[in-house]
Amino acid sequence: MRTSFKPLAAGVGGVAAALLLWQAASGARAAGGSLPSVGSVATDLGALAGSPDFWSALAQTVGIALLGLAASGLGGIVVGILVGSFEPVRYATRAALEFLKPIPPIVILPLVVLILGPTGQMSWFLVFLGCLLPIVMQTVDGVHSTDPVARDTARSYGMKPVEILVRIVLPSAMPYIGTAMRVSAPAALIITVVAGLLGGGPGLGQSLYLAQAGGDYPTLYALVIVLGILGLLFQLGTRVAERRLLHWHESYREVAH
Amino acid sequence: MDKLMNKRPVLWLLGIGTPALLLAAWWLASAGSTDTFFPPLADIVDRFRALWLFDHFGSDVLVSLRNLVLGYAIAALAAVAVGFVTALAAPVRWAVDPLIHFLRGIPPVALVPIFISLMGFGPEMRVASIALAAFFPTFIATVDGLRAVDRGLLDVAQVYRLSRRDRVVAVLLPAASPQIFSGLQVSLQTAFVVMIASEMLGPSRGIGAMTLLAQQSFMISDMWSGILLLGVIGFAANFLFDLVRRKVLAWYIGSRRLARAS
Repeated sequence: MRTSFKPLAAGVGGVAAALLLWQAASGARAAGGSLPSVGSVATDLGALAGSPDFWSALAQTVGIALLGLAASGLGGIVVGILVGSFEPVRYATRAALEFLKPIPPIVILPLVVLILGPTGQMSWFLVFLGCLLPIVMQTVDGVHSTDPVARDTARSYGMKPVEILVRIVLPSAMPYIGTAMRVSAPAALIITVVAGLLGGGPGLGQSLYLAQAGGDYPTLYALVIVLGILGLLFQLGTRVAERRLLHWHESYREVAH
Repeated sequence: MDKLMNKRPVLWLLGIGTPALLLAAWWLASAGSTDTFFPPLADIVDRFRALWLFDHFGSDVLVSLRNLVLGYAIAALAAVAVGFVTALAAPVRWAVDPLIHFLRGIPPVALVPIFISLMGFGPEMRVASIALAAFFPTFIATVDGLRAVDRGLLDVAQVYRLSRRDRVVAVLLPAASPQIFSGLQVSLQTAFVVMIASEMLGPSRGIGAMTLLAQQSFMISDMWSGILLLGVIGFAANFLFDLVRRKVLAWYIGSRRLARAS
């Protein structure tokens, strides 16, 4: 009991100290008085919770992120299986994929906004593009790393190519896909916020932009706190989903020592 | 085996040839294009040369890169140092754990408006945004890496009565370095995204600002050239990082390969 009490107390103490420091800095009018007090941000959080606009912005953000993630998951797995199943295609696309991989979607944001305008569709498309490549590449790796013995065994049992794909290749590629989806889910949320903040798409990113441009600093901080909680929930949710969906795979089973 | 040997060069040729073919196809297909959104690649390359290599090299390209390098360097050093203190002193870890978990949930770009409200639109704001956003991935990887260090290794260090400094420099740092490097790689990506985001908000200089301005004033070839430049920088930064990582972690990559082969 003592051991679990100490970390808890220290954690509470750490948060309290951070809040005190924040309050002191805003009381001392650091940064020209642009730092709002803890109280005003808390009041604003309460006001946000009572505002239907905020909830619809939140719903839009979550909806766009999940929709884009689902689309890129579907598209990424299909493309990944196609690319991974044919050796020449894998080699032909590798250099292009490796080049594009480290380029974040924010780079093409101006082009996407130009074509689609500041709409939800634009945000959705940006999320789709941003999450697509990692999922494709992981799926390709997963398909490629299928145990050749299992594949040959299936073939000698007379399985058809489609059957081999569904029963051998896909299950063994699943952990790779799961990892890609888990990494992509927080990214989808981030891209949705970026699209709103910089491209004018709907949702919390846009609220953030309006609060900053209008000088409404308590709301700005309240929104960032909401985004922090939302980001945590996304990370937590995908980790739970991954464990639930992939519990049968050997790399997720509890190891018995 | 023989068949595989014969196929190798063909496959490599495919790997090198396809991107070149794609570029050529883009060049040819867009030549004489009158589509507003997709100007000829030749025009884009022209604008690229005119804009980024001459007119705006000093005023924008260097400014962006300086902010990126400065912010990233601050973040990397601070994250590893604070990570060590946090991982090695349990009370510190307990105290900052909830805060860190909350802060890393915040999309890094959402920090930019806050820094604008605190510091205005100057270069300090950009460097600070980049540094804070890039801090978390490396910090978390450092703490995780240190906590995963083999107990046996620590016991041996104790038996040999290594001083605290030796233990950190000769045992802990190398043991955690593979994880630290993967954190550093994520931090680099984050820093790059925040660099662009910090330039796209408000009146400002830099490659991101120029690219968005070109889009808003409908100078499509300029916008494309900005996208191209940002893409190349994103790729080059990651490529350089990988070179350094391979050099520093050569012992680790080699041991992994051996372990896999055996």
